[in-house]
Amino acid sequence: MSLGAADRLLLASARRGGVWVGVTVVTSLLLTGAGLALPAVMGRTLDAVLSEGDSARWLAFTGVLIFVLVAVDAVDDLVGQIAEARSTAWLRHTLLGHVLALGTRATRRFTPGDLVSRLVGNAARTGNSASSLVWIVMGLVPPLGAIVALAFIDYWLCLTFLAGMPIVVLLVRAFLRDISDANEGYFRVQGTIAARLVDALGGIRTITAARTVDREAHRVLAPLPELRRHGLSAWDAIARISARGELVVPLLVVAVLAVAGLGLTQGRITPGDVLAASEYVVMAAGIGGVLSSLSQLAQARTTAGRIAEVIAEPPMAYGRERLAEGPGRLEFRHVTVQGTDGPVLQDLSLIVPGGALVAVVGRSGAGKSLLAALAGRLVDPDEGEVLLDGVPLRCLGREELRQAVAYGFERPVLLGETFADAIGFGPRTPSAEVLVAQARAARADAFIRHMPAGYASRVADTPISGGEAQRVGLARAFVQAGRVLVLDDVAASLDTVTEHHISQVLTSALAARTRIVVAHRASMAARADIVVWLADGAVRGRGPHRALWADPEYRATFQPFSLAAAEMVGGAR
Amino acid sequence: MRRSVQILRSSLSRRRREYRRLVAWSLVQAAPAFLSGWIVARAVDRGFLADRPGIGFLWLGALAGAFLVGAWGTRHAVLGLASLIEPFRDELVTLVTTGTLHRSARLGEPADTAGVARLTEHVERARDAYGAIVLFVQGFLVTAGGVLLGLAGLDPVLLALVVPPLLIGLALFAAALRAMAARQREVILADERIAESASALTGGLRDVVACGAEDRVRAETGAQVDAAARATVSLARLTAVRTAALGISGWVPLLLILIAAPWLVRSGVTTGAILGAVTYVSQGLQPALQGFVQGLGSSGLWLLVTVGRMAEIAVDPDEPEATAPEAAEAGTGAATGRTPVRPGGARVEARGLTFGYAQSAEPVIRDLDLVLRPGEHLAVVGPSGAGKSTLAALLAGVLEPQAGQVRLDDAPVLALGGGDDLARHRVLIPQEAYVFAGTLEENLTYLAPGAAPADVQAAVRAVGAAPLVERLGGYDAPVDPRDLSAGERQLVALARALLPAPRLALLDEATCHLDPVAEAVAEEAFTRRPGTLVVVAHRISSALRADRILVIDGTRVALGTHAELLAGSALYRDLVGHWGAANASAPTVGAMTRAGRVRDAVRVLLRLTAHR
Repeated sequence: MSLGAADRLLLASARRGGVWVGVTVVTSLLLTGAGLALPAVMGRTLDAVLSEGDSARWLAFTGVLIFVLVAVDAVDDLVGQIAEARSTAWLRHTLLGHVLALGTRATRRFTPGDLVSRLVGNAARTGNSASSLVWIVMGLVPPLGAIVALAFIDYWLCLTFLAGMPIVVLLVRAFLRDISDANEGYFRVQGTIAARLVDALGGIRTITAARTVDREAHRVLAPLPELRRHGLSAWDAIARISARGELVVPLLVVAVLAVAGLGLTQGRITPGDVLAASEYVVMAAGIGGVLSSLSQLAQARTTAGRIAEVIAEPPMAYGRERLAEGPGRLEFRHVTVQGTDGPVLQDLSLIVPGGALVAVVGRSGAGKSLLAALAGRLVDPDEGEVLLDGVPLRCLGREELRQAVAYGFERPVLLGETFADAIGFGPRTPSAEVLVAQARAARADAFIRHMPAGYASRVADTPISGGEAQRVGLARAFVQAGRVLVLDDVAASLDTVTEHHISQVLTSALAARTRIVVAHRASMAARADIVVWLADGAVRGRGPHRALWADPEYRATFQPFSLAAAEMVGGAR
Repeated sequence: MRRSVQILRSSLSRRRREYRRLVAWSLVQAAPAFLSGWIVARAVDRGFLADRPGIGFLWLGALAGAFLVGAWGTRHAVLGLASLIEPFRDELVTLVTTGTLHRSARLGEPADTAGVARLTEHVERARDAYGAIVLFVQGFLVTAGGVLLGLAGLDPVLLALVVPPLLIGLALFAAALRAMAARQREVILADERIAESASALTGGLRDVVACGAEDRVRAETGAQVDAAARATVSLARLTAVRTAALGISGWVPLLLILIAAPWLVRSGVTTGAILGAVTYVSQGLQPALQGFVQGLGSSGLWLLVTVGRMAEIAVDPDEPEATAPEAAEAGTGAATGRTPVRPGGARVEARGLTFGYAQSAEPVIRDLDLVLRPGEHLAVVGPSGAGKSTLAALLAGVLEPQAGQVRLDDAPVLALGGGDDLARHRVLIPQEAYVFAGTLEENLTYLAPGAAPADVQAAVRAVGAAPLVERLGGYDAPVDPRDLSAGERQLVALARALLPAPRLALLDEATCHLDPVAEAVAEEAFTRRPGTLVVVAHRISSALRADRILVIDGTRVALGTHAELLAGSALYRDLVGHWGAANASAPTVGAMTRAGRVRDAVRVLLRLTAHR
């Protein structure tokens, strides 16, 4: 990811603040100007008062400046946050839209948790820092202006300050180094505790069985004293640093005051100048703050880079073509899909006749689910083409494609508020009758009815088993089924009676559709018109189950059970 | 919210001494705030303006000294703060760790690891916020006190100029604070809602795409993004009030001092005193106010929200735990005396077992009866999700059945006491073997603390883990679980389970990551001993070694020997890969002979491994 893209994104999000960004520029100018002028004006006021001159004019001036400072500061706060909120929202919308446009590609590149942190934390940080870009520039003005102002009052004051400055810089340096040393140990121990907790959570069933939860809590927390030791040594560093910090600026002030006092005695400067000088020293010492603004900007660039990285991924492009009437014939032409280490499917060609019930079998890792994903373009092949009734899937419009191909999954994620929503989730909005009929077909009706609120029960509040979730997902697939229905191992958590019932639905009510079923059990393969046997990224065999059954290796693909038996028979020979 | 206040308050009240020390040091820290204006006044009036710069320098030297003392105070105040905050962090980590573990134990499944990472972050954030609050509130109170005293020392009239605007500003801030807290909470909640629907979205991206629901999901999550932006803006409006309050408290006193200056001078207040008053306000009061208002405004709320989140993690005492028998039965165990542990195998008797994971869900196991002879070897087979692990957990007394009972040698399994005795009655090894950071010895004697080295060695050799022990560098070598493969971890868990010589051992796919030969060796170690054995089988070879096999599929079960089940259970035939036998067309005979061949093969293999 080039930083160019990150910077462009940062600026684009800053622009999204709209007029508010312009207003921020104005308010920050006003604030800086007023802040810089105030000490001098206050000094003049004091002098006027002491010399019994025209103090009213200067007092009014001071009053106006203070009013500007207070009022504009409040406005600046408000406006800055409005701009930030708008920038953040824009970033989030953009990223959200892009993640959805990427489709399953997004989760192949980034983990879901990672995407969430980019969408929530990173977007906020980028959005916030974008409008404070203004302040990073404006932050430089008061310290530099204050140094100049010191010189105007009396160049000795300026020289005193400049001589003291290197000490400040040195101390700020020491500050950064000290802290990072102490923190390293702290984070390491913290990581140890977290790792132990994760280990214990992974072994929670062992722990529950042995009833050793409390013992384990003890073990996880064992490094706590060490954590505290590192924590205290970090605090020790902080204590030294804040003591130094509390010393540096006041000592600079004292030095400048001493020089100013001498000037006062010699009549070179007035009491008002002393007042102004003591304020300006503090302001000038704030130059260290620019460093932290800069590091904030650096952080914003990093987070912007993380967002730009997602946006740089090309989205899934859909065509505009529509499907003519057709039986749902699928054709895979020389399809290759690359995995992390080598191709998962290689140069696979296959024709699925319209209206057929096709079982896809193979050992785990053979690419069954990938083949299923290709059939409805959840994944694009790296090479080759998949065609539905003669039209390449890439050329189809998104809605056209989703209406044509419906999916059921082994572990469906149920979306929507209620169970009725979850079953009707998709391009087709079914009537209540259709919904219930399909739930019944998927054997989901009975247990949903048992729930307190039936179909209106909230999915999030109702714990259901893996098998039950599978059946709700199946009902969703039945509702949406177009000319092609792809079922990716939907029977994995179902008992054989339910599975039998569902395969009967597949061969009766849904018989007109092309059905692609990823199967692990021989009984399902036996009911299919055609079995596609995948091995080593290619079609190893294709035909009716009965014909393939003669091959012991084919038999070995069903259940790890027979596999092991076959291995052992082979081994004993 | 109330719970987090409770946690914070009790943490503070337990450390009164540390708190008093912090207060004492922050008084030292406030010395310059108290002295600065007064010293400046003296330096100007008696030194520089009286043509005696030497005296002026002396006074300024005293000021520098005051700053040195103050810095010394700061250093110790920070250390005092640390002695408040570090124990607080320890408390939070303990709360979170025990809470997460107990909750996971109750649910019977691990919490998500991303959640663990978030918790770590929450703890750190709470620690920082807590520190900031104590520091700023403390700092403000002490500094304000010092400044007001100092002003009174210069001229009590000055108080009349400084105190009213200070109070007005603080009152305005206090008035805004409650509303701000509510709105800040809204912002945090809105962000969490975005995080929630974003993780539902990213976790279910495949389903969203497959359902063609991109637009719908985008609109729904987008609405939450907009809601968060609205919440931020509505908070910003109040933040502006806060900033104004800060301005009134900090700047108006300066203006008033200048306005009143002609009158002050006339009534005898010196130039130095006016300079001193300005110094007090602009260099003492203003920075302390800023820290106070910002610290309380944002850190305070973060603290409440994050601590509240952690309090949620902590176990709700009303909810019973899956391991509740541990607590409940400990009492009854003491009353009835411990169940004596006899050597040999346990008789296991389950009557009318019924279990479902939720009240509304269908039971996974319904009305199951099962009796195992002492020393019998049972294999449990069935499709995934059929309830095999649930059965193992019920037999071990890890789960409590909704109906029915499991008895181990006539004692209810749920009544078995905790402690080391438990493992001598029964051991359950789940599929995911638990190896923790510690020495290998600690890991192996987990269920039998203090086991003799010879016994440990024998157990290790029996399950075939001797080469692993050698590779790791002996029993005293530290083990990092991440360095072990899944199979190696299972070997450790198997040897561990063998050590207490349990009367009932339950292996729940505990050998699934071993190759068939290693699996045979490990299982053989368990069959050789006199104890009763239940194996949730991962491979048919493992089922074939058993005396009897239980086939479970949802709520239907079949029990019998391999031959009986081949003849009587269609599901068993299906699982074993003998499809077609049910049709009785061709391969029934072939299948039988094949099964025979498999059996022979297993026998040969077992003999081979036994001779190793």
